[in-house]
Amino acid sequence: MEHIYESLIQFWQYTGFANCTWQNLAMIAIGIVFITVAILKEWEPLLLVPIGFGMIIGNIPMFPGLNIGIYEDGSVLNTLYQGVKQGWYPPLIFLGIGAMTDFSALISQPRLILIGAAAQMGIFGAYLLALACGFAPAEAGAIGIIGGADGPTAIFLSSKLAPDLMGAIAVSAYSYMALVPVIQRPIMLLLTSKKERAIEMPKPRQVSQKEKIIFPVVGFLITAFIVPSGLPLLGMLFFGNLLKESGVTRRLAETARGPLIDVVTTLIGLTVGASTQADKFLSGKSLMIFGLGLGSFIIATTCGVLFVKGINLFIRNKDRKINPLIGNAGVSAVPDSARVSEVVGRETNPNNHLLMHAMGPNVAGVIGSAVAAGILLSFLG
Amino acid sequence: MNCYKRLILVLGVLVSPALLCAQNVSDLIIAEVMAQPDSVSVVDDYGRRGGWIEIYNTSMGTVKFGGCYLTDDPAELRKSLIPKNDLATSLGPRQSRLFYASGRTHDGTFYTDFTLSPGKTVYLVSNDGRTVIDQLTIPEDLPAGKSVARIANDAKGLTFDTVSPCDPTPGAYNGDPTAASKSDQMAERDPHGWILTLVSVSVVFSALAILWFFFWLLFERPAKKRSLDSARDDRFAAGDGKKSARKGNPVISTKAKGRMEKSTPDGEVAAAIALALDMEESGDVYAAIALALHLELGATAHDAESFVLTIRPTPHSAWNNPADGFRRRP
Repeated sequence: MEHIYESLIQFWQYTGFANCTWQNLAMIAIGIVFITVAILKEWEPLLLVPIGFGMIIGNIPMFPGLNIGIYEDGSVLNTLYQGVKQGWYPPLIFLGIGAMTDFSALISQPRLILIGAAAQMGIFGAYLLALACGFAPAEAGAIGIIGGADGPTAIFLSSKLAPDLMGAIAVSAYSYMALVPVIQRPIMLLLTSKKERAIEMPKPRQVSQKEKIIFPVVGFLITAFIVPSGLPLLGMLFFGNLLKESGVTRRLAETARGPLIDVVTTLIGLTVGASTQADKFLSGKSLMIFGLGLGSFIIATTCGVLFVKGINLFIRNKDRKINPLIGNAGVSAVPDSARVSEVVGRETNPNNHLLMHAMGPNVAGVIGSAVAAGILLSFLG
Repeated sequence: MNCYKRLILVLGVLVSPALLCAQNVSDLIIAEVMAQPDSVSVVDDYGRRGGWIEIYNTSMGTVKFGGCYLTDDPAELRKSLIPKNDLATSLGPRQSRLFYASGRTHDGTFYTDFTLSPGKTVYLVSNDGRTVIDQLTIPEDLPAGKSVARIANDAKGLTFDTVSPCDPTPGAYNGDPTAASKSDQMAERDPHGWILTLVSVSVVFSALAILWFFFWLLFERPAKKRSLDSARDDRFAAGDGKKSARKGNPVISTKAKGRMEKSTPDGEVAAAIALALDMEESGDVYAAIALALHLELGATAHDAESFVLTIRPTPHSAWNNPADGFRRRP
């Protein structure tokens, strides 16, 4: 009888109830909120559902030493987490993004590329703020990349520069990407007049298949020669795009933008979520990261819009003026930020379709954030 | 200049600085030298203990050093040739290679024709037999079992300034692994982050500005020129060329207008509608929209753009299309 009692006591010690803390419950609650928001509001459901459920998985209280936790070497979750930790999930996602991205909007109006560069100011603005808040330069660089509005890039860079902060950075980046319509719209309205919002841009020219094939090759050569440290992201992005545009690798392109990216997105979301264990995640630093992440999005949007307004000062031909509402799309939340441009533009002028114009800076933002990540890695890595 | 010539020009501009700055033997250094072994020193392939020289590649690329020379005599720079035909005479980025100073070059590729002793200077000479790439002097008072090494300034082993006697580390990183990281160095040099920010923003803008310039040069400019030429041709074909040319007005014929409208796709609007509805509608609605667009726009709604929904009749279905059924030989 005593033996049975001891066994039950021992079993109880292994259960989650015996090891539970309020921090675990708080993180589980946050995970449930993520799932709820993703399902009910459809905010980035492909990312928030895996991350939210990952948070629940990672915060189930458990007896340490059973070799099942994400931070315990050799466990299943730890093995899956290596893709995040070693940084090979993000380039695979970039391969898929390249295979599904149409760069014609950018090729037809190359001047819009510069808007993608201006919006990267969010990264460096957040870097300066993070330094001022007392973060080390490497940590500040990892936090700053949230302003690129690119989840895979944020994970890639933070895994190299500040692995301890990766969970908070990834969750912050994806959360704000989901909130792009909420964050960007008021800033865009605040910084533009009704007259500016009504600007109709000339229709972009049609892009030939030859141009689309040449773009990934030349684009990769230029960016990779300038910032070789961005090679994993840039290489995969442009390679994926070449698979799509070459016309002879349809099956590979379909796999890259279909099953491959789905599998990797599932794993990256789940493992990033599971890495947010309460003891590592619930801290003052995480709250600061969330605050800085919001700041970086605001700076990026502001700089993008103001940059377009600045460019317009130098464009004499009235028909070639750029609608400043596409400035927000310089952050690389594809295609959400471009959708915001379209929606806000049509509120002022229902016949003004800005979506295809906004896709130019939007995809330029993807390239720009990968370049910025490469620079930060070379300086701080 | 046609598109291909422009492309070659662009690639030429891109590649030329790379060729000029290609990694070469000048990136090699003599990282460490040991003159007098003790009883625990490293042994060569023949089980002998002797002096050795460590060559290190400081660059980020592979360097082939076959054809270079090692010597201990400045008057005889071609004393010990490193064979050219050995595949092992290439050194990966930040990798090192040991040469045993056995005094017998016929022992193998990585053996020198001289031996080492305190007070001697070792020279690494380029494959032209004249240029000294690097040299390292062994202190007179270097005790047995100790080596003289260049110590890395940074954790990545990219620059080496300090030369000092130390415990031998043949084939291993010469430096303090606990040295300040790049982040710590940056915290010292640029505590507020302004320098890094300015440099980084400049690089991002430059990279994307170069991209913009190349694509403007390669595609946008010729496209505009083609469009203007085409409009001019149509103007003349319509018979009002002389008149409009005299007045200096860019008159465009109805035919040209039609063509320009066709070249600026109606599909753009379709794409915008389709993508805007992407978040809101189900698959059935997509099909209905696609059919409506197809009927409305006909042939102008094309398949080239990713965001355009079209229904395109094809001779094959997914069941009998040979392209789907066979795999190309890898």
